[in-house]
This record gives sequence, structure tokens and C-alpha cells, in this order.
Amino acid sequence: MKLFIALKSAAIRSSKLWKGILIVWFSTLLLVCALAIPMKGALNSGFGRSMITEKLADGINVEVFADLGATLKSLISYFSTGFFLLILTAFLMNTFFSGGLFNSLKGSSGKFSAGEFFRASAKNFWPFLVISLILYIIVLILAILIIAVPVAMVSKADVPSDGAVFKTCIIVVSIFLLLLTILFLVADYARAWQVTKERNACFKAIGFGFSQTFRTFLSSYLLMIILLVVQILYGWLVLSILPGMKPVTGGGVFLLFLLSQFLFFIKILLKAWRYGSVTSLMEQNSEKVL
Amino acid sequence: MNRVPTRRGELHHTIKNNYIMMKKILIYLFAWLITVPTVKSQIINKVPLSARQTYYNIDANLDILSKIVKGEMETYWVNKSTDIVPDVQLHLYLNAFRNSRTTFNKESGSSPAYNKSDSGWIDIITLTDWDGKDLIPGMQYISPDDGNSDDMTVLKINLPKAANPGDTVFLKINFESKLPSKIIRTGNTDDYYFVAQWFPKFGVYEPAGMRYATKGGWNCHQFHRNSEFYSNHSVYDVKITVPKEYVVGSGGMLMAEVDSDTEGKNKTLTYRAEDIVDFAWTAWPGYAVFTEQWEHVKITLLLPKERIDQVERQFTAVKNALEYLTKNVGPFPWPHLTFVDPPAKGSGAGGMEYTTLFTSTSFTGIPDFLHLPEMVTIHEFGHAYFMGILASNEFEEPWLDEGVNSFWEERIMDHYYGENSGMINHPLLKVADKSMSRLSYINSDSRQAVSNAENSWNYPHGTYGMMSYNKTATWLYTMMGIIGEETTNEVFREYYKKWAFKHPSGKDFVSVVNEVVTRMNGDKFGTDMNWFFDQTLYGTGLCDYKVANFYNNKLNLSRRNINGGDSIDKKLSDGDSLYKSVVELERVGEVMLPVDVLVHFKNGDEVHESWDGKSRFKDFVYTGARMIEWVKIDPEFKIRMDVNYINNSRTSDPDRVPVRRLTDKLISFMQFFINFISL
Repeated sequence: MKLFIALKSAAIRSSKLWKGILIVWFSTLLLVCALAIPMKGALNSGFGRSMITEKLADGINVEVFADLGATLKSLISYFSTGFFLLILTAFLMNTFFSGGLFNSLKGSSGKFSAGEFFRASAKNFWPFLVISLILYIIVLILAILIIAVPVAMVSKADVPSDGAVFKTCIIVVSIFLLLLTILFLVADYARAWQVTKERNACFKAIGFGFSQTFRTFLSSYLLMIILLVVQILYGWLVLSILPGMKPVTGGGVFLLFLLSQFLFFIKILLKAWRYGSVTSLMEQNSEKVL
Repeated sequence: MNRVPTRRGELHHTIKNNYIMMKKILIYLFAWLITVPTVKSQIINKVPLSARQTYYNIDANLDILSKIVKGEMETYWVNKSTDIVPDVQLHLYLNAFRNSRTTFNKESGSSPAYNKSDSGWIDIITLTDWDGKDLIPGMQYISPDDGNSDDMTVLKINLPKAANPGDTVFLKINFESKLPSKIIRTGNTDDYYFVAQWFPKFGVYEPAGMRYATKGGWNCHQFHRNSEFYSNHSVYDVKITVPKEYVVGSGGMLMAEVDSDTEGKNKTLTYRAEDIVDFAWTAWPGYAVFTEQWEHVKITLLLPKERIDQVERQFTAVKNALEYLTKNVGPFPWPHLTFVDPPAKGSGAGGMEYTTLFTSTSFTGIPDFLHLPEMVTIHEFGHAYFMGILASNEFEEPWLDEGVNSFWEERIMDHYYGENSGMINHPLLKVADKSMSRLSYINSDSRQAVSNAENSWNYPHGTYGMMSYNKTATWLYTMMGIIGEETTNEVFREYYKKWAFKHPSGKDFVSVVNEVVTRMNGDKFGTDMNWFFDQTLYGTGLCDYKVANFYNNKLNLSRRNINGGDSIDKKLSDGDSLYKSVVELERVGEVMLPVDVLVHFKNGDEVHESWDGKSRFKDFVYTGARMIEWVKIDPEFKIRMDVNYINNSRTSDPDRVPVRRLTDKLISFMQFFINFISL
């Protein structure tokens, strides 16, 4: 019952937060465009007045891109460097905005204020950054221990067994995903707790995250599984819609752009729903304790 | 060495006086009665497909403890030349793995042989002629390619008496072949064996006039890193003894299988293969065996039990190849075919061909959209034609088997698995098999370092694969684009008809092309196609045609002032504006090929032009009321050697929609990605 109350409450809270989500969406779009638009210009320049782009009507054509020659090499170099910087910047930006999102999702008063959103984002930036970094490090270590080491051992065996690498990959990735769900809970509880505190207490927050996760493991884990399953299903839906769309007119491309941005907006909304659900569950649990 | 009738007469004379000699005669007669009739007997094919200049009768025993194959071999070579031949030369390929100083290991840049137990070798234990005369004193290891005295992959045997024309040189050899434990085409890992290049095998004696030989001699190259083989078509009778639990596959037809000891621990399998250029076999207890029939061919597939889900796609692939090559090249003459998808521990044996036995490559869980197993299966099967039946010299002209075979592999893949999806067929990405060859060639920094006409081990800067496989396939596609698909198929049918079960060279292939193209097209492409091969096969130049520009100039003239303009639109009305429209084309590369040009006008008119592609630039001028909208060189992309398709067309109104769409999707992808990876 607690689960459904949390999910319902979070759905209401996150929908009230649509302006905040709009801010996150727009910021992400600007950031990504900073990399993508120059690439578009370079591609147009590379193709010049050629009609070879006809061969892109059905999607990516490796021969067309290969014929770009030196332009392609420059583009790959630009994209790989740019993408690294993009991820770094996006990490900082998401850390920043998650402070505002968590703050807006706490309690049930629910009136969104942009000023308050940015204030909370700025206030929680450093503790959220530390929380995120520590959890990323834990994720990385887990990935090495649970995925990389066993797979490397199996694949480098003196006598490799047929299918062993494949089976090992499936098993270890499954284990990793199950553990990752716990880490999501820890991260969300830690951040939901942090926004309720006046002072920066990121390590305490992580401690709270772990204790809250394991204290209410069954309900918390089930909640996170439901949320992640919904997100995965949504991801699958997006993947089955967007890549297959191949508009051939300028208007069609614009509609594709609008649709893709709408789908991304929903994706952020779903993440806010996750944050709100964990926050709501934490609040219910703390009321019970009181 | 024996010349049969004369020798038999001599021995008949001697038998009256000498009991020992009589014994020899009896042995000889026995050998003659058993061996020669066996070769002549038609166990598989009604008539011999090849000249059958060599024959091998091998009794092999696999010792799984020492990883050694012990073999007793009776073999002969017939001197069908008019030369007196003083020696014979044999390949001992396994010696390539003997030490780190072999040519193979030096060319590999590292030694695959880590220690003595890992290395491989072949030792001649005894070597006699049919008279029992010891030939070991006449043995000499030679290194005809690089003079490397540490290389023992070619054995020369000086004969006690030179082989006269028509003589048959008989050899009895007891040998031991130690398989390397790191499988590089051949070897063993754990309980998996792929036994190839495992017995002493004759080189090819080339009399003057054969291929490029100016005087008679053995063509017997050392074993190189980037090279394959060259052998006569032979008959093989092979007995293989292995532990009973092992499943065996080979290039021969199974004639018998019996227990080889009273305890029932071992079994002996008897195989016969006719008119193939090599005999290899594999043994592993883990194989699952499947058989299917395609017309007259019984196809056997051996693969790990974990990959049973891939049986259907593997059989489909090989049947597609059989159908396509039979239709467009010639019949597959053998009634049996075995192919192997090696397990992970035997993956080093994957992707090889031994005519009626070949190995594919795949892995557990490989998705259906990725056609890697089909590509490898079709490629390796194709080698049954391109150097199995048409037994070219892979050492000296690797393009003639690998390149030609890649061309056919790509045609088959794109025919059966989609014109644009022969390699990958996924909703997000489709890649044609033929695309990869062109990409490899046009993107190589060393694409002009050397021509195709090079010994396989001499390709510089790692260009062996790109040159022999990819550039060849690309210029063959270009040739097909010029002469047409049906003429190309007819070229290969004629090549098959003329050279099946012989040793064609590159110049023989070119001759067939010249003959067929002129027969089918007259002098449309000139008196021959040498101009094409000089630039593609023997040349290093690049092909690149470009639409430099086009423009439409409005003329301040009335219709009446134009005299004899051959391109004037006759439908002009008095009110129409007149334009002088000019198309400027350039040949950027060195290669000169005839190209089609398509000129499209804004009123919808289209003009097809032909350009011989020889001059550095070419203008087409049109005068009339119509303006050019776009121009394409090679609109159907027939000239796949063109290293840049982008400059092959030009328009006044480029379509930016695909790039915009791509950018939109890139933006969405990056947005979702950064959202996905954030906590």
C-alpha cells in the first residue's frame, strides 16, 4: 500500500514540477546542440552540393560517410572529444538540477518557484556532487569486480569453453543490474535526506541512504524495481519509435524533432517521478518512526 | 621413381635368376596392382576430374597424449612434362611452427610457438622408394623464397635416378606430425584437433610455358604468414585412427568405419577424396553432426552442441552458395561436402578451406541480423571453386583466389540477404557485404603502395588483406559495372569451362575476359580489356571522377541567331529564354574508365551522356530553354573503384533533409544517453 501511495504522490508532485522539468529539458537541449549543430554544419560542408545525401534516405550509409575522407576523420575526432566534454558537463548540470528537483519534490505543498528551484540547486550542488561521485566510484568498482574480472578470466582461459563468455556475461550483468538498483535507492534516499537538512552532510546522507535502503529493503527495492521497469519499457518504446522514423521533408524532420523532444521531456518526468517516489516513501517511513 | 612398363619388363627378366629380386617384383606388382588401379578406380566420380598427377595413401594414427599424428604414406608423382626431373620437392608445412626462426614466425612478428611442447613440426622417420632404397641421404631442406636456413618447410629429395618424361616417382614415407598447441589454421587445443598441412605434400612441377614458367621447375614455396597454398589435384585414400569417442570430419567421403583394436578403444575411419588439392581433417568429442542434401551433394555440418540453433542458417548459407555458383560459374562436381564451425577453443581453425572441407566462424548467441557466419561460410565454400577447382597459385597470385572469391561472396550475400544488408540487417543499421571491400580499399593509406600483381608475402605495410581481397573485389565489381552482369557471369563460366582442374594464372583469367567480352560485345570496349587490367590489376592509380561545376548562362540572343546548336531544344517558343548550360567534369585520379553521365534539367528533361573518361576534363554544353538542375557521373554507382562518390554529383539545390534528420536523431540520442547515465 505504501508503495502505491508513494508512486501516486510522486506522480502528482512531479507533474506539478513541469516547469522545473522544462528547465532541465531546455538546458540539456542547449548543451547537446552545442556539440550537434557544428557537426551538422561540418557534414553539410563535407557533402557540399553533392546529391550523395540521397543515399542517406534509408538511414546511415557507411559508404557515404567513408567517402567524406579527411572530413570524416575530423568529425570523429571532434565528436569523440566533444562527447567526452559533453558527458562531463552533463554530469555537473544534472547534479546541479537534481538538487532543485529533489527540493521541489519534498513535502506536498507543491507550488513550483523557479527562484526556489535554482536556489536549492545551488545550495545542494556540492553535497550532491560528492554523493554522486562516491556512488559512481562504487558503481565503477562493482562493475570491475562483478563484470570485468569474471568475463576477462573466462575469455582469457587457456581452453576457452564455447558459450562460456556469453553465459558469463549474461549472469554477471544480471547480478550487476540487481545491485545497481540498490545503489539507485541509496543515491535517491541520500539526496532526498540531504535536501531536508540545512547543512551540507553528504557522508551522513550516504550513510542514511544505505541504512534507509536496507531498513526498508523490501518496499524500497520493490518500488525501485517498478520504477526502473517503467523506465525500461519507456526506453524500449522510444527506441522502437524514433530510429525507424525517416521523414523526407523539412516539415517532417521538424515534427520528428518535436516528437523526440516531447519523448525526452517525458523521460525527465519519469526520472522526477522516481525521485519523488523515493522521497515520498522516505517521508512515509519517517512519519511511521515518529 | 619408376617407369612402369619398362621397369616391369626388366624385373620379369631378373626374377628367373634372383629370388630377392623376385620378392621386390612381387612387392612392386602388389603396389602397382593396389595403388594404380585404386587411383584409376571410379569410387566417387565416374571419370577423373583432373589429371591426377599425384596420389596419397595415408594411414594416420592420432596419439592424443603426445598430440602427434603418426603417418605411413605411400605416394607418387607422375612426370607429365617433357623434362628430365632430377629431384622432387615437398611441402612440410608444420615445420613452420618448429622454432621462432622460421619464415612463418619471423613474418608473424612474434613466435606463436612458446615452448617446445607448444611448437609443431613434421619429422620424416623413413623415406624410401618402392625398391626400399633409402632416400634420406638425398634429403635437403631448401628456402627458395628467402634463403632462411632455419626454415624447414620445403624438402627437396634428390632422386637416385632422374625422372624421365612419363616416369612415376613412388615414395614411401613414415612421418610424425606434432600439432602446435596454438591453433593457427592447424593444431590442437585441449581435446580439439584440426589437422591440416599435416603430411609431406608435393609441390607443383611447372614445365616451361605453364603459367609464368620460362623453364621447367618445382613451384614449391615456403610457408608464409600471409599466404596459402598451391597443389596438384590428387586422389587421397586416408585411414584415420582415433579414440572411439572422437567425432571426425574430413574432406573425404567416408568409406568404412571399424574398431581398430579388440578393446574397442579406438576406431579407424577410411576416407577417399578425389581431385582435391588438400586433405585436412578434424577430431573432437564435442561435435554434433548434421547432414542435409542439396541436389547431388550430401552436406555434413559439424559444430559444437551449444550452437545447434545455428544449424539452419549455416545450411541455408551453404545451399545459397551452391545454387548461385552452380548457376553462374559451374557445377560443384563432388557428391560430398563437409563444413565445420569450430568451438571457441578451436577458433584458430575457423575460416579456412580445403575444397570439400571448410571451416566457418561463429560464436554462441550471435544475433540473426549479423551475417558473419553466413559470410564466412559462403566465402570459404567459394574457395572450392576459386582455388579448389580453379587451382591457381595462392602464393604468387593471391588475388586470383581471395579477391575473386570475395567478389562472389559479396554477390551471393547481397543477392540472398538483401542488396544493402548482406552484412548487417538491423533496423538501425544496414550494411552491404560489398561495402566493406570498397571501404577497406578506399580508406587505406597504403592503397597505392603496391599493385595486385605481387607475391602474397611481399605485400608491404600490412596491405595483403586489403589488396588481395578488397581491392580485387572492388575492381571486379567495377569490371562488372562496365561489361555488365551477364557478360561477367559468362566470363566466369568460360573460365571454369576452360580451366577447371587445372592451374590458371592471372594472365589466363585476363585472356578469358578478353575472349568473352569481345565475343559478347564486339569492339564496344576495344579489341581487348587489357586497358582495364593494366590500370586495376597491374596498376596502382586511383579512380576519381568529379562534377567540378555546372552553370546556366542566360543568352541575349534570339532563336534565330543560333546556328547549328546541336543541343537546342526544338520545342522552343518565341517567348522562351535561352540558356547556355555547361557541365564541367574532371578526372581527378589516374585511372581512366568509361563513365555514364546523367544531366537533369529543371523542366524534367534528362540527357544520358557517355564519357570515355580519358581526358583530364570534359565539358558538355547545351543551349536551349532549359536549365540544368543537377548532374551525376556514374549515376548507378557502377564504378566502385571511384574513391569518392561525394564529388560524383552536383545540384543547384542540395537536399539537406537527411543531414538534418541525422542531427535530430543524434541530439535525441545524446539527450537520452546523458539522462540514462546520470543517477
